[in-house]
Amino acid sequence: MNRNRVWLAMAGVLAAFTAHAENIKIGVVQGLSGPPAIVDFGESYLQGIQFALKEYNASSPKHKIELIVYNDEANPQRAVSLVQRLISNDKVSAIVGTVNSGNVAAFAPMVQQAKIPLMAGPAIATDITAKFIDQSPSYIFRCSMVEKYQVDAMLDWGVKKFKKIGLMHGTGGYGMFAAGEIRKGMKARGVELVAVESAAPNVTDMTPQVLNLKNAGAELVLMFHDSLELFYRAMPKANYKPVIAGNWGLSSQMVFNIVGQEGIEGTVMGQALDLNDPKAAAFNARMSKEFGDKYRWPVVAALGYDGMRILLQAADQAGADPTKLRKAIEDTSGFKAVSGTPAKPFGPKDHECLDQENVFLGVWRNGRVVKLQ
Amino acid sequence: MKTADLVQLLISGIAMGSIYTLMGKGLLITFLTTRALNFGQGDFLMIASFLSMTLLLAGTPVVVAVVVVLAVLVVLGVGLERLAIRPLANMTAGSASSLAWILTTMGFGMLLQNTAQLVWGKSRFYSPPLFADEQKKVVELMGARFYLEELIVALVAMVVVGVLYWFLFRARWGKEVAAVSFDKGTASLLGIDVRRVVATSYAIMAVLAAVSGILAGPLTTVQAHMGLLFILKGFAVVCIGGFVNPVGILIAGIGFGIVEAMSNYVDSAFGDLYPFIIALLFLIVRPSGLFGEFKADVR
Repeated sequence: MNRNRVWLAMAGVLAAFTAHAENIKIGVVQGLSGPPAIVDFGESYLQGIQFALKEYNASSPKHKIELIVYNDEANPQRAVSLVQRLISNDKVSAIVGTVNSGNVAAFAPMVQQAKIPLMAGPAIATDITAKFIDQSPSYIFRCSMVEKYQVDAMLDWGVKKFKKIGLMHGTGGYGMFAAGEIRKGMKARGVELVAVESAAPNVTDMTPQVLNLKNAGAELVLMFHDSLELFYRAMPKANYKPVIAGNWGLSSQMVFNIVGQEGIEGTVMGQALDLNDPKAAAFNARMSKEFGDKYRWPVVAALGYDGMRILLQAADQAGADPTKLRKAIEDTSGFKAVSGTPAKPFGPKDHECLDQENVFLGVWRNGRVVKLQ
Repeated sequence: MKTADLVQLLISGIAMGSIYTLMGKGLLITFLTTRALNFGQGDFLMIASFLSMTLLLAGTPVVVAVVVVLAVLVVLGVGLERLAIRPLANMTAGSASSLAWILTTMGFGMLLQNTAQLVWGKSRFYSPPLFADEQKKVVELMGARFYLEELIVALVAMVVVGVLYWFLFRARWGKEVAAVSFDKGTASLLGIDVRRVVATSYAIMAVLAAVSGILAGPLTTVQAHMGLLFILKGFAVVCIGGFVNPVGILIAGIGFGIVEAMSNYVDSAFGDLYPFIIALLFLIVRPSGLFGEFKADVR
């Protein structure tokens, strides 16, 4: 082979390579300001996304990924207009987001109509993907906790273990929705709640509610209020120490920092990340190193990380075309997740990363959330 | 209702009501001198909570922390008057836009909220206790248990009411405030330094917000948006008490706190609603508040 032919062959390989390398835009909408409970979710999920992309970029990737991040401020109108902007102006190939289930419900039909894959998260309302699953094909996927799964896991455990169960919920959108799911779940199990207490989202004191739950003799309190630290704060005053169980929000490091190790010990919550699993522990260590103090919520970050990795893996195969990308996401297999996400997360009739069997109960033990035995 | 529960609810209500009282008094004092309410006062409280939390966590002695927070807040209060109130008074006196202080004070508050988010982050925090050695220091009285902080908050509110009452009705400064409130021009002709009186009233407003913030921090959750509810309730309290007398505001504030605690005990689903409904009904019956007068007031 003479020298010119070698050069020609090399140029051919290079041309073939560059012909396939694409610039793929992924839009992210997250709640990054507003009530602290929203921001903790939004920032943690985004950390997972950013870390997945960083690792992808370090692995000499096939395509160039451009991440466009917008803050919906937990506001549905803003979320809709940002998604519109991602679709029409930024021309993204896929969208990830957001914290508020109401916001996702508002923009999901638009994304479905535009035929762009959506990886919803960390929103947890039960019916986010179910509403679209019969449209063939559905572009709506989710990598997050599913409210019904964690409530079912908690109630199955609760009714077996405790005689008297009380409920404390917020009167905001999420609190009312969760209370409805719990009442339904308890009715289905033939058990009555001994007391139902509630409080406005921005309340400053929960002493009266704590006293009522204590007087009702609740041994287990199902906690579905954002300002849950106020409940813990009032418990020593009432000389009352029930077991508290609630949504995955209770696994946040911020709750731990506020309530303290002694207060939070034994608190149970819905989980999808077992830090005793070596893969999860290694992820946790890498994230701590990357984000330091700002890393505060392993399970939410892990689902953001897994969701983004599924997207990136699919983008590697399908490129920037949203239709092909959707198919590649749905066909993902052999996926090695750090969260409870299975190796084959999705199918034509299942667009949830987590299924009921992947959700379990976690508990705070010695400053760490581990699987409840 | 058990006696212990009743005592406990009363103490919790009085503690929270005391914070509303202090906020209400802050609103009153600037209203007297400039006919303007600082709608960003809740954010002053928030900044005070964050500052005292940071200082206490850094191991600063409580007295030093309190002095530093008071000093910073006084600077903010005087700054608010200089930047957001005085220019408007000069430019818009007598015109419809003389209500522009609503926007400027709220804007100042938003600036503070954003600054707090930049400095401390957007999450929520818990301020360490001021007086007890450990976080869960509980005091028992008649079978009821409560935090030492709750008692101290109530005591501080009483002392501040006393001091303010003395200032307004017994000291020379109170007479100056009355004169400025009646007519700034005439007061000036009588040799009163109107600017000084006004600036002092804003400094006092800031001190009241600082005290509220320092005391509220360990009782509730510290976060950038915490001020809104306190200013809303403080405003309700000052309306009930009447824009005249600190004693009326004390009665209204404590009453509001107790009604809030009791209504949450009886029916927590609408616990926050009942005190506002009662406030509304009260104002229908007595629009000028507890100690207000129907005729134009001079203070």
